[in-house]
Amino acid sequence: MQHAFLDRYSDLDSPLHRLDPRVKLVVFTAILLMMVSVPRDEPLTLLLCYPGLAILLALSRVPVSYILRRCLLVTPFVLMAAGVMMLTGETNGRAVAGTGADLRSLAALSIVLKAFAAVIVLSLLTSTERFHRLLEGMRALGLPPLLGVLSAYMYRYAFILSEEVMRTSRARLSRTPGPLRTGRIRTYGNQAAMIFIRSWERSQTVYNAMCSRGFTGEFPPTSDLRSSDLRSSDLRSRRGDLRSSDLVFALIVPATFLAVRLWG
Amino acid sequence: MNTPAVSIRDLSFAYTGQEQVLDHVDLEIQPGERFGIIGPSGAGKSTLLLHLNGILRGRTGKVEIGGIPVGEESLPEIRRRVGLVFQNPDDQLFNPTVEEDVAFGPLNMGLSSEETVGRVEKALGAMNLEGFEKLSSHHLSLGERKRVALATVLAMRPDIVAFDEPFSNLNPAMVEQVIGIVSGLKATVIIVSQSIIPVLAVCDRIAVLNEGRIAAVGPVDVIASTG
Ligand SMILES: Nc1ncnc2c1ncn2[C@@H]1O[C@H](COP(=O)(O)OP(=O)(O)O)[C@@H](O)[C@H]1O
Ligand SMILES: [Mg+2]
Repeated sequence: MQHAFLDRYSDLDSPLHRLDPRVKLVVFTAILLMMVSVPRDEPLTLLLCYPGLAILLALSRVPVSYILRRCLLVTPFVLMAAGVMMLTGETNGRAVAGTGADLRSLAALSIVLKAFAAVIVLSLLTSTERFHRLLEGMRALGLPPLLGVLSAYMYRYAFILSEEVMRTSRARLSRTPGPLRTGRIRTYGNQAAMIFIRSWERSQTVYNAMCSRGFTGEFPPTSDLRSSDLRSSDLRSRRGDLRSSDLVFALIVPATFLAVRLWG
Repeated sequence: MNTPAVSIRDLSFAYTGQEQVLDHVDLEIQPGERFGIIGPSGAGKSTLLLHLNGILRGRTGKVEIGGIPVGEESLPEIRRRVGLVFQNPDDQLFNPTVEEDVAFGPLNMGLSSEETVGRVEKALGAMNLEGFEKLSSHHLSLGERKRVALATVLAMRPDIVAFDEPFSNLNPAMVEQVIGIVSGLKATVIIVSQSIIPVLAVCDRIAVLNEGRIAAVGPVDVIASTG
């Protein structure tokens, strides 16, 4: 079965792929924090950050279509959140000079822009580095091991879910040749239900498999394993060994986003 | 008299709100035996396997592993003794790297990292997976993932290795490979399978499970000749 790897473009070669995973973790997290912290009545500032994201995407050589598909996946949820904001968000009745937009629409637009930025940033991060290297990076940065383990499990469950999506999509396509029309909405509904049930069953099996190997609810201290001489991860032993390209990236990119954030 | 490796007496089980899946099952498996359990889909084979290490426990009946009754207090010891190899290796591999997956069981057993590292090395070696330590298993082929999944179980040095459908979805060459691997194991081996022919090739004795009941038990040649 062909997996829909989260890190399926992580073997490409690009300036971003060649950076140290620690640098990528720090820089992408910084971008995310800066964008998420933009006040919600300033969607224009967020919009100004998008060219920056586009440049990073171009540098990464990850296909634009792949990122767009990831964005499409979250679109229903994003639109729902924006809709809720439009209906229930606070109104000061304040019109923004020249645009005539009220606070609600600005906040709704901000939510949409922030959500897509988050998807783009996280997709870029996972598409430019193998997942286990990112985990090693997190450990080398001194983040608590539990955070790494939890990310690994989330990653694992994301796989289960995407596999189920592919399986049921194939089953549906094999039964409904030709393009899907709105009349087939029910098929989609059934597919969603199937995916939910199957994923639930599979996570149950994964859990059984974990218990079979003595799991009692506490993650074993894999960090101990790592720190022993035999297996010190290559990142740990190269601590501080960043190349100049890493440093340039770590300085310039966040600085650019910070500038947009402050003065955009 | 020898203590049997597995002794199941009058075991019945039903999932909540459903009808009986296991119906008064009696079974005894001797140490070192290669024992097959065959039967159609839905017969209760996987359910029976999950009783061997206490993942499921029947309301009536008794399961003993090497003379130890499966119960709340004995679970850690039982899970050390019985290794389950699940049908789909992807259900068994969830760590970022192969070595962490193989280390998961030994670490849960409370072994030191030195000892764990040694066991990881041995288990991977036994499965011809030297050099796979740092790879992530979801980048491997199905055959390789199956071997990693078995390595995660072997690293716990179980007395009993129980396989759920080890031959499903495999091409003939891979079936051969799995037969070879299973025949090489020193532990007591239990194989649950819908495919009868590879089971005949590996096992000494076979039980036929149908609708939750043991329909027949006997040496391979006897079961094969009675169909
Ligand atoms: N987790 C579960 N919850 C409820 N019913 C189950 C569950 N697992 C299996 N069953 C039911 O129990 C019966 C036996 O299943 P199973 O042990 O998987 O059979 P086999 O492995 O022989 O194909 C089937 O009817 C199946 O639908
Ligand atoms: Mg089964």
